[in-house]
Amino acid sequence: MAEGAEGGLARRAYAFLLRPEASVIVVSVALVIYFEIANQNFLSTANVQTLSQFVAAPVIIACGEIMLLICREIDLSVGQVFALAPFLMENINDLGVPEPLAIVGALAVCALIGLTIGLITIGLRVPSFITTLGMLFLITGLTLTISRGYPANTAGEPWLIGFMGGWSYSEILWALAIVAVMHIVLRHTRWGLHTVAIGGNIVASGEAGIAINRIKIANFVLTSTLGGFTGLLEAFRVGSIDPLAGGSNMMFLGVASGVIGGTAIAGGAGTIIGGLVGGIMLGVMQDGFTLQGINAFTFDIIIGAAILIAMVANIHLARLRGGGAQ
Amino acid sequence: MTEAIRAENLVKTFGNVVALDGLSMQVARGETLGILGDNGAGKSTLIKILTGYHQPDSGQVFVDGKPVQLGSVDGARGFGIECVYQDLALVNGLSIYHNMFLKREILWGGPFGFLNHREMRRRAREALEEIGIAISSVDLEVGRLSGGQRQAIAVARAVMSNARILLLDEPLAAMGAREAGLIIDLIDRLKARGDIAIVMIAHNYAQTLEICDRVILVQHGQITFESQAAATSAEQLLDIVRREYRAARAGLG
Repeated sequence: MAEGAEGGLARRAYAFLLRPEASVIVVSVALVIYFEIANQNFLSTANVQTLSQFVAAPVIIACGEIMLLICREIDLSVGQVFALAPFLMENINDLGVPEPLAIVGALAVCALIGLTIGLITIGLRVPSFITTLGMLFLITGLTLTISRGYPANTAGEPWLIGFMGGWSYSEILWALAIVAVMHIVLRHTRWGLHTVAIGGNIVASGEAGIAINRIKIANFVLTSTLGGFTGLLEAFRVGSIDPLAGGSNMMFLGVASGVIGGTAIAGGAGTIIGGLVGGIMLGVMQDGFTLQGINAFTFDIIIGAAILIAMVANIHLARLRGGGAQ
Repeated sequence: MTEAIRAENLVKTFGNVVALDGLSMQVARGETLGILGDNGAGKSTLIKILTGYHQPDSGQVFVDGKPVQLGSVDGARGFGIECVYQDLALVNGLSIYHNMFLKREILWGGPFGFLNHREMRRRAREALEEIGIAISSVDLEVGRLSGGQRQAIAVARAVMSNARILLLDEPLAAMGAREAGLIIDLIDRLKARGDIAIVMIAHNYAQTLEICDRVILVQHGQITFESQAAATSAEQLLDIVRREYRAARAGLG
């Protein structure tokens, strides 16, 4: 009995180490230990709160990008939708629509942007890299036009502001909830399974009768909507809306979280949990090096190099796992 | 033996090219028919008509003796016709059981329609056992299997979905002797069940005569030779094809 349980435990531990997220979890834990030793404040309540805010936004963005990357697409414009959404909300609110409904309205417009990206990409057979590169500039211009280039304050009832990101941990709780839902979508629904199948073998998916276009368009809609939602959360948390918020930096953090977490840039494989872990690792590094008081100029060099190393390492580990078994 | 599928006077042209020129064939339940012939002879067109992918210009297909309009691949599936193509239509990154149930997933009841992994695993295991394919786990990724195992999974998927007429497109292509043996055994077991009609396209005469009950030779969209496999030698088939080549070369000269 005891022996069997032990064997089971060892097998489980081995199975865990074979998972794409495992190496990133190990590295993240090591980084946390290092920063805590180097700086006693790293695990203080105040810093854990700051850390959670670093992590939340890229992780939510990653949930959408991971679905797109798995089916061999990408959305470069999600960071611009992030900036646009709060202004949409504000403008709809100014029309006399109550704020909760204005939020829904803003998200609906974001979904429509995703739908447009999907229809152009699928209907006109333009690579999504190109479609969303165009969208990136188009939406930047749109946001600047709507805002006239000025930031604004986020208005609203205290409970709504708190619920939508104002409370200390509400943004990370949103992120974790979205991660949980998207994990289930990817692993336990047809939508998720077919997304993986399309990325793995598009011809076979077509022969099996999978609605390839519908799945891809759904993933574009999802990503834009999540991008807009993240922009709203950040706006409520910070208390102001900025036409230059988010941007390509936010998009790349989302994509990097996914890729560090084991999502294949060539499609066909990836996990939402991996995106969460990748986002946490990026957050730990950003926050940890900030606490260390590293010079702002060298900061980007260190972060950039760390992201590069993490992604290269993960791609190589994936190759080792693929070749090592059997 | 009862007739499973019959085609009469199939004609199919693509522009100026006559792919099928009044071809007729039939297969009974429990019988395995081998289709031999050169590239461009019309074998693939015949298979694609039987799977509902192409529609014939004229002629009629019968299933269980009744005339049918296959209309589409899904339509043909409705009549129990399944085809395993050379590319196998498998997704390497997915597990065996996900592949076997792709687009025919078993769901839990309820509003969300979550995937019922447990039931799909169980049925995939059963289906593989039933046709005698030994695989350690249905959770293995298809990309890690050998060519023969992958072919076996594709065949198992077709059989599991209640195929009564199984079309195999070059099932032994590019396969070593041991791997080919795996598939030949599998075809033998399916044949022994007696309820499935198998039509296979092949290039290797000796192998085809070994596996099939009956062979036909397709040339220029017509059947030029038909015989029970037991009464046929590879030499005989080779002779016919050799005559064809000589005639073609004389024509060119």
